[in-house]
Amino acid sequence: MIRLDSIKVSFGDFNAIPHLDLHVRPGEFFTLLGPSGCGKTTALRTLAGFIQPAGGTVTVDGKDVTRLPSDKRQVGMVFQNYALFPSMSVWENIAFGLRVRKEKGADSDRMVRDIAHRVELSDEQLAKNVAELSGGQQQRVAVARALVLRPKILLLDEPLSNLDAKLRHQLRQQLKDLQSEFGITTVYVTHDQDEALAMSDRVAVFNKGVVEQVGTPQEIYDHAATEFVCNFIGDSSTLTPEFVAQVNAASGAQLSTRASSYLRVEKASLDAPAGGGTAVGLPGKVLSRTYHGLHSRYVVRSHGADIRLLVREDGGAHPEPGTETTVYVRPDHILQYHSETGAALQEQDRQDQAVALP
Amino acid sequence: MSGTPVRAMVRSPFVLVVGVILTWFIAAFLVWPNINVLIATFFPDGSFSGRAAEKLFSSQRAMKALGNSFLLAVALSITVNAVGIFIVLVTYYFRIRGSRILFLGYATTFIYGGIVLAAGYKFIYGDKGIVTSLLLQVFPSMDPAWFSGFFAVLVVMTFATTTNHMLFVANALKGVDYQTIEAAKNLGASTWTILRRIVLPMLKPTLFAVTILSFLTGLGALSAPQVLGGREFQTITPMILTFTNSPTSRDLAALLAVILGLATMVMLAVMSRLEKGGTYFSVSKVSSELQKQDITNPVANVAVHAVAYLLFAVYTLPVVLIVLYSFADGAAIQTGQLSPGSLTLDNYVRVLTQPAGLRPFVVSVVYSALAAVIAVGGLLFVARLLQKYRNWVASVFEYLLHIPWILPSALLALGLIISYDHPNPLVGGAVLTGTTVILLIAFVTVKIPFTLRMLKASFASVNSSLEEAAAIMGAKTLYVFRRILLPLVLPAAAAITALNFNSLLDDYDTAIFLAHPLVQPLGLVIKANTDGAEGTEGVANTFVYTVLLMVITGVTMYLVYGRSGRRRNRKRLPAVPPSGSIDATDVPPAAGSTASGADSRVPAAPVR
Repeated sequence: MIRLDSIKVSFGDFNAIPHLDLHVRPGEFFTLLGPSGCGKTTALRTLAGFIQPAGGTVTVDGKDVTRLPSDKRQVGMVFQNYALFPSMSVWENIAFGLRVRKEKGADSDRMVRDIAHRVELSDEQLAKNVAELSGGQQQRVAVARALVLRPKILLLDEPLSNLDAKLRHQLRQQLKDLQSEFGITTVYVTHDQDEALAMSDRVAVFNKGVVEQVGTPQEIYDHAATEFVCNFIGDSSTLTPEFVAQVNAASGAQLSTRASSYLRVEKASLDAPAGGGTAVGLPGKVLSRTYHGLHSRYVVRSHGADIRLLVREDGGAHPEPGTETTVYVRPDHILQYHSETGAALQEQDRQDQAVALP
Repeated sequence: MSGTPVRAMVRSPFVLVVGVILTWFIAAFLVWPNINVLIATFFPDGSFSGRAAEKLFSSQRAMKALGNSFLLAVALSITVNAVGIFIVLVTYYFRIRGSRILFLGYATTFIYGGIVLAAGYKFIYGDKGIVTSLLLQVFPSMDPAWFSGFFAVLVVMTFATTTNHMLFVANALKGVDYQTIEAAKNLGASTWTILRRIVLPMLKPTLFAVTILSFLTGLGALSAPQVLGGREFQTITPMILTFTNSPTSRDLAALLAVILGLATMVMLAVMSRLEKGGTYFSVSKVSSELQKQDITNPVANVAVHAVAYLLFAVYTLPVVLIVLYSFADGAAIQTGQLSPGSLTLDNYVRVLTQPAGLRPFVVSVVYSALAAVIAVGGLLFVARLLQKYRNWVASVFEYLLHIPWILPSALLALGLIISYDHPNPLVGGAVLTGTTVILLIAFVTVKIPFTLRMLKASFASVNSSLEEAAAIMGAKTLYVFRRILLPLVLPAAAAITALNFNSLLDDYDTAIFLAHPLVQPLGLVIKANTDGAEGTEGVANTFVYTVLLMVITGVTMYLVYGRSGRRRNRKRLPAVPPSGSIDATDVPPAAGSTASGADSRVPAAPVR
C-alpha cells in the first residue's frame, strides 16, 4: 500500500533521515514510535508531501508520488493540534476540501452530513464554532475533515499528545474504533509506547532517523531487536555478568556473560512460580519498596544487580526493606544484546560468546 | 488576591495616600476639564443654549471641515488597510527576495512620524520641495503645488499609519498556527484560497481594530491637513485650533471637540463590541511556527515583487533625502541639485551650537523627560495597587485613568485651557493657561493610559510567590514594594519611560494648543518652518532635527525591543512585554495596546 524506499531527508547539514525503507500494508494501523527528534514526524511529513526527500521514492498504491504535492497524493492528515480553522464552523471545516474541489453544494452537504454522522457528530454540532467543541469532538471533526475526501491513507501526527491523561485514553479508543470502522490504512506517529502498543497492528521503532525494528506490538516488546528498543519500550533491570553467570550455573542455560543483559520488571518474581518450570531462584536483599496501590515496586539486590520487580497488592505477605529474599527468574526471559553493536543475541551467538569466555 | 473588599483596602495608609493624590489628579485634570468643555458648549451662560450648534451649522467652513474629516477617515481606513496588509504579507507571509531589506524600509515609520513626517513630505514633494524642483526642470509646465490637498494628506497619512499594521497585524499573523495552512494545502487549497479563506479570516479581529484606529486617525488629523491640506482641504482638528484662538468662537471649538470626542467614543465602543463578538484564537494548544509561502504563479510573483519594491521606494525616499539634504547647503536645498561638494556638517554645527537652533530641541527634551519620568514614577504605585486590589473602586479608578485614551487630544487640551484660564481652587487658585506648566500636565495626562497598562502588565508578570515569601518572613507592604517588586519591574519601567520620552519628543498635537509662546517645543518649530518663515535655514534645521529625532528614536527602540530577542535565553524579565503578550495577559486583544485617541500608541505617533 505504502512504500518508502531509500528515503533520505536532510535539513541543511543535519541528516534527519539517512536511509529509510518502510512498507505499510493495506488496511493496517501502522505506528511510527520513537523519542522526540528521532525522525518519525519527518518520515510522516515526507509521506504527506510536506517535506521533499533528498533521495528515494514514496509509492502509494503502486504509484510513485514522490514529486506530487500533498493534495494530489490522496492522503488525509490529522494534525497534532487538529489544525481546525478557527474562523469557520464545524460544517465549513469539514466541507473545506470539497469546496476547494468545487463539488456541487448539495453533494458537499450530503457528504459532510454523511461523514459527520459516521464519526458521531450531530447536526447541531455541525453549526457550532470549532472553539465550542470539546477535545474529543474536535478530534472527530479533524478526522471527518480528512476522511470526507475519501483518501487512501490516513496520517495521524501525535493527535493525542496535548491532552490530559484521562482524555487521552478515551480518545485513543475512539480513534482506534474509527479506524477499524472505516478500515482505512493508517500511519500514526507517537512517542508514547503505551499508545503504540495498544493501538497498532505493527510498530516501527525509530532512533536517530533509523528504524531499529518493525513488528507487532508483542514482537517488539518480547523480542526487542536492539538494546535501544529494549530500553525504550517497557521497563527492565540491567543485569550484571555475575548475576547472569549464577543463572547459568543454577539452570544450565548458556547465556553470554559479556553481553548487555536485561530483565523486564514483570518477568521477575519473589514467589516461586506455581508450575515450577525453568525458573531459578537467586538469593537477594530487599533494598526498597514503593507502594502504588495496585502493586508495589521492589528493588532487590542480587549478585550486584538491582532487580526491579512488581508484586501485586493482593493481600499476601510482603517482605520489608532490609530482609533477605529470593528472586525467581526464567533464563529464557533474559534479553541479551551485543555490547558493541546493540543487536539482540541469537541462541547461536550466545553460545559463541559463552565459548569465547576465558 | 482578587476581590479584596474595599474596607480592607482603605485600612492601608499607603493605599490612602496614593488614593487621595490620584483622586485629586483625576478630578482636576481628567474629569473637570472635559465637563467644562461640555458646559462651555451647551451652558455658556449658566442655562442651556443651542447657539453653538446654530453657529456651527451656519458656518460653511466648519461644516466643510466636518465633512472633510469623515471623508478622510473613510478613505484612510481603506488605503491604510490596502497598503498595510500588503506590506505585512510581503514581509512576513510570502517568500519575497530581500524581505529583510523591505522590512527596514516599511519600518521607517517607527522612527519618524507625526509633524516630522508631514514636514518631511512637504519639503520633498511640496511646492518648493526638492523632488518638485527637480521635476520642474524636466516638466516646466507642471503645477508646483501638485502635492497638496486631499490627495497629499491621504498619501502621507496612509504611509505614516501603517505602523499599526506592522505591529499588530504582523503579530496576529505570527500567531496563526501553521498546521492550519498545511491542513488546507493537504485538502487541496491554493495559495490564494488559503490566504483568503484561512489566513485573512483569522486576522479579522485585528484588522477591525486597526481599521478603526485608522478611521480615528483620519478623523482627528491635525498636522497633515495643516501642512499639506492647503486652503481647500481643512479638517476638524485644525478648525478647533483656529476657533480656540479667538475667545468669541471658543464655544464653536468646544462643540467641534465634543463631536470629535463622541465619534471617537462610538468607534471605540464598536471596536470593543466587535472584539467580544468574534475572536478567532487558534483552538490548538501548541501551534507550529509560520513558514513563508511561495507564490507559485510566476506572473503574480513578479507583480508582487514589483509592488513591494515600489512601496519600499516610497517609504525610504523621504528618509534618504532628509538624511542626505541635512548635510546640504541652502542652495542645494532650494534647487534640489546636490553635488558631493555641497555636503558639509555646517547645518549640524549651527543647530547644535547656536542658541536659536538648539533651544527648541532642549525645550522638547526637558518637557518629554519630565513628563515621562513623572508619568512612570507616579503610576508605579497606582499600577501596583490596581493590579493587587480588584474591586469596584479599583475598576472605577482604572476606567477614569483611561479617559485620555478615549478622548482626542484636542478635546483634552481645550478642556485644560478653558478650565484654568482663571484662578481655580482645584489647583490652589492658580492660573495655568499660558504658563509652562500646563503643557507638562497635558504631556503627563496623555501618557497615562499607555504607561498604566504596560506597568500593570509588568507587575502582573512578577511571580506572586516572591511577594508572599517576603510577607511570610515579616516584610511590610512598602518594604516588599521597595526591595522585591521595584527591582523586578524597574527594567520595564525604564523602557516605558524611554518610549514615552520618544513619543513626546516630536509632539505637535498637544503643544500647538498649550505651549508657552516663548518656550516652544520642537514640533511647533518644525511646523513653523514648513510655512517658510525661516527660509532655507529653517528647512535645513528641520532636516537636522529630523535626523536627530530618528537617531534618538531608533536607538531607544533598539534598546527597548532590539536586544530583547537576543537575551531571550537569559533569566531576565524582558524590558517591555512584546505587544502580543500584553494583549493576552492584560485586556482583550488589540484594544489593549492599540486603543487610542491620542498619540499614545506604541511607539511612533502617526500623522494627525
